[in-house]
Amino acid sequence: MVILGEPMDAVESVAFDFMLPAGAAILPQGCCGAANVIADWVFRGAGCRDNRQFGDALDGLGLHRSISINSSHITVGAVLEASNLAPALDLYADIILRPRLEQDQFEPARQLAIEAVRALDDDPRHKVMLELRKQFYPSPLGRSTIGEMAELETLTAEKTKQIVSENFNISQTIFSVAGKYNFDAVCKQLENLFETNNQGRLEPIALGTKAGRYRHIHNEGAQVHIGLMTETVKLNHQDYYDTRVAVSVLSGGMSARLFTEVREKRGLCYSVGARYHSLKEAAGITCYAGTTPDKAQETLDVIIGEFNRLADGITQEELDRAKIGLKASLILQSESSISRAGAIGGDYYMLGRVRSLDEVKRKVEATSVDSVLQCLRNNRFKDFTVVTIGSQEVTLK
Amino acid sequence: MTSTMEFKKTTLDNGLTLIGEVNTSAKSAAVGFFVKTGARDETEQVNGVSHFLEHMLFKGTEKLDALQVNEAFDRTGAQFNAGTSEENTVYYAAVLPEYLLEVTRLWIELMRPALRDDDFSIEKNVIKQEIAMYKDQPSFDVIDRCRRLHFQDHPCGYSVLGSEQSIDGLTNRQMQDYFGLRYVPNNMVVACSGNFDWDEFRSVVEKPCSNWLGQAVARPLTYYTGSRKKERLEKSSLSCEHLCFMSEAVSSQDPRRFAAYLLATIVGDDVGSRFYWELVDKALAEAAAMQFGPMDGMGILCSYICCSSRNMQTVMSTVTSIFDALDRDGVTPGELTKAKNKILSALVIKNELPMGRLLDLGFNWIYLGQYRSIEDDIRAIRAVTVDDVNALITQLRPGDFTQYSIGPGRSI
Repeated sequence: MVILGEPMDAVESVAFDFMLPAGAAILPQGCCGAANVIADWVFRGAGCRDNRQFGDALDGLGLHRSISINSSHITVGAVLEASNLAPALDLYADIILRPRLEQDQFEPARQLAIEAVRALDDDPRHKVMLELRKQFYPSPLGRSTIGEMAELETLTAEKTKQIVSENFNISQTIFSVAGKYNFDAVCKQLENLFETNNQGRLEPIALGTKAGRYRHIHNEGAQVHIGLMTETVKLNHQDYYDTRVAVSVLSGGMSARLFTEVREKRGLCYSVGARYHSLKEAAGITCYAGTTPDKAQETLDVIIGEFNRLADGITQEELDRAKIGLKASLILQSESSISRAGAIGGDYYMLGRVRSLDEVKRKVEATSVDSVLQCLRNNRFKDFTVVTIGSQEVTLK
Repeated sequence: MTSTMEFKKTTLDNGLTLIGEVNTSAKSAAVGFFVKTGARDETEQVNGVSHFLEHMLFKGTEKLDALQVNEAFDRTGAQFNAGTSEENTVYYAAVLPEYLLEVTRLWIELMRPALRDDDFSIEKNVIKQEIAMYKDQPSFDVIDRCRRLHFQDHPCGYSVLGSEQSIDGLTNRQMQDYFGLRYVPNNMVVACSGNFDWDEFRSVVEKPCSNWLGQAVARPLTYYTGSRKKERLEKSSLSCEHLCFMSEAVSSQDPRRFAAYLLATIVGDDVGSRFYWELVDKALAEAAAMQFGPMDGMGILCSYICCSSRNMQTVMSTVTSIFDALDRDGVTPGELTKAKNKILSALVIKNELPMGRLLDLGFNWIYLGQYRSIEDDIRAIRAVTVDDVNALITQLRPGDFTQYSIGPGRSI
């Protein structure tokens, strides 16, 4: 297990995350959604405590749990007042090393995962982005982090237990902590808690093919929800910072291109925005817009037009605004122990090291109009993958 | 951390209040303009005007057009936005300390907007898009509809967004009139938190804001206990049942609000609450939460549950038995202690960010005309007893609620 820590002045809280290599893309075929079942099941009793006793013990520390699932990891963590860190880590070691995984607790955990998939149908904004990743990334990278109904319906307790025993691999787990803590004490405690467990490496993911460029899901909603994605460079690429600045020119603030052209000038949408999204294996720029059916085609055309227009030129002013926006959001996030614990763990997984805030600031600062344009020309947006949910299809021109 | 915080206040001759809480160990600062106006201050005819007006403030002044406003904000790297509720419109920005004065000057300018006809027409489309967006979110829609059912014709039941019809019918003139009545100095508070210099901040605000005029305005408060009606809407396109329960609670001014927060946490926090153990842990509901919503002169307890149609009957009977047990036996000391731990840690964590602190600072002034330190709130929460919470249950009878459900079919 790798242990990462970032001390913060002026906070009384501490946040920590265990990144367990059991994300949606690395689970066995036919088990999509198992990560959600696991993330619930492991909290239903661990070590010497049953479900209720365990929940009460966590609540007794006043900690706020966080559970998230992405393509690579199940991340379980918490934020709490610093004085309760040691007992909280004891409880989390139970979750990871000694989850009871009792048979009678499996069914409610699985049912909740099924209900979450069902609820997604009533949340088309969220659903369209999950479907988009599925469409865009080569299989299995884009697998739904919520799950697939059919696969959850046939998932068994035995199979799920097997995944836990294979994927809760301590040697591949990343632990991060940020806020108020004593690093030596944390290391010593984790060494004691996790010392007996050491396992081998996980198999790398074998990538399959990409799905088609466009998918429409019919629904009689008030809006057409449009998700769009195009390939870009990964976090470890030399053009990464220029790309981030370019995405910021496109959609960093309210003066950025998409907001200006789609919402301010044309009133086509309430919500429109693009962001950078990177996995270890591939990366994309994602964009969401929600609009009424009569305006869906125009909205899509304007958005794609703005993506393509970026390489034609950007102004120094646009660049300056993009840079200060990126730098400010970095510093504002650095005041939150939750954000920092997540960021350092993410960095380590993606890059094998943690970037300092200064390094990121310096590299954002080093970008110029020329470097951003060069990067856009080197990495032209070739194909756009589009998913729509609503009563109206669109045409990809 | 909290010991380094220092409260500042000044009131201008026109009645505008400026408050600040300086925390020199923060890396950022946050500024907010709190306007005591929202959907409940509207009439049925202009319903949605407060929220529409919030959008229009970003459209600029006599000197600045909308694009220039957006550029000016983005030059400061601010994380800025605005929000409108039933009773407040808040404009805020979190920035690096060196940009605080620049972003504050910008907000001050925007508080006296041009409200141009052509901007009004184009923004009307955006508002209608926003209404359409929320229609596709039943978890939001059901709460909006339940509020209306609960408050009936009382203005607290008005939708913040308004309806497609009310927005279609709204004129720019009506909006200008509304602005003139509500964005007056005695109805606004300017607040700042985090790492900033109070004297500098005050001098930037004082001069331009001293020119703000307008007749003092007050909100008439009429109490309404709630209708306790039950209604249902069926939409075949939906996959789940979305339920909302609403009942009477204490106000933002009431000292018992801390007991009400604890009650809502005991009954409906997202983990470890009675709703959690009886509904979510048993997989009867995908989500079940209760929140306390204190308001000006009154308040609500609002619960939201999402479940499958198959489980609807069982969920309803479980909810009934949860509230019956609460009414009969009250809460336990163990539950209260856990709820206190959770609320106290959430309070500390939220207040570590100047932006989180800004909202408490501003709203305490809006509702109480009072500064409350984090320690004041911590003490008040610690002091709540089991008897306090149980007395509240006896008085409010939270199981006697207004109910709205939206689902795919098969009524209950």
